Amino acid sequence: MLKSFADRQHITYPLLSDPDSKVIRDYGILNETSKPGTSSYGIPYPGVYVVDAQGRVESKYFEDDYKDRVSTADILARQFRAPLNAAPGAAETKHLLITTAASNDIARPGLRIALSLDIELKPGMHVYAPGVQGYIPIDWRLDEGGPAAKRQSFDYPPSEMLRLEAIGETVPVYQGHIQIRREITFGQEAVLKPLVAATGEVIVKGSFRYQACDDRKCYVPEAVPLLWRFKYEGLDRQRAPSEFQRKPN
Amino acid sequence: MAKRPLIEVAIWTLLIAASHGQIIKTGPDAGQQVPDFSARDQEGRNQTLKSIMGPKGAMLVFFRSADW
Repeated sequence: MLKSFADRQHITYPLLSDPDSKVIRDYGILNETSKPGTSSYGIPYPGVYVVDAQGRVESKYFEDDYKDRVSTADILARQFRAPLNAAPGAAETKHLLITTAASNDIARPGLRIALSLDIELKPGMHVYAPGVQGYIPIDWRLDEGGPAAKRQSFDYPPSEMLRLEAIGETVPVYQGHIQIRREITFGQEAVLKPLVAATGEVIVKGSFRYQACDDRKCYVPEAVPLLWRFKYEGLDRQRAPSEFQRKPN
Repeated sequence: MAKRPLIEVAIWTLLIAASHGQIIKTGPDAGQQVPDFSARDQEGRNQTLKSIMGPKGAMLVFFRSADW
């Protein structure tokens, strides 16, 4: 069964069989909500461990919802700060340039991925960091009711304190270049499939709101629409050849 | 008395987890050693934690099945 699955999915790394769920039990991740005698008995809580060469856990990635899966590209982004190159997009305003990207270019039900926003402030411009008083801070929103069914919480990067001599204030700002990353989990099939466009695309929509100022004046607050385009890929429902299929015992 | 808030947090955590119908187990924590194993791969070869280990470590992925 593993051989046929590995061939079909072009998997070249070792794919291991745990027929009696012994390893799953040793790791303490047997899903006990699946009862003995049912076809799903013996399944683990799905997840990923990153271990060092001595076998010590460096980090682990498990999802609260058993139908969700973290993508490998997202793990590389979180663990190793790998650059995000998929689903690229760009926008420009009078004050800044925005480049958008994602860890993956496909959208699959329950897949957890990373999105990024690179902001390049034009010379002399600054925008305000969250927590600022009296100004509008930057705000990266993602539309509700869209493909991004779960929008994980995230941190804005550290800001710098800027002294505004003209008005005698010191405020938290961003200047130059900043990158913000966050994660989303696509909705399950029932949510995601109806959102697939005729082109086969799934589009995550959002906006970037900010108020830009230079050393002379502040400009009208803006909201820049943002788009991430993904190719929809349904769940792989192909079964193993019948001679390999697990028989209920 | 000092311990009570902790207990309440624990109970609330349990209640929240229960209300979502999920208390998932995630096995060894960061810094802990993972158990060794011995299992067959797709080519019929026996593999252990040591045999699959790369120079910098490894990624262990647990999933449900290669079939339904």
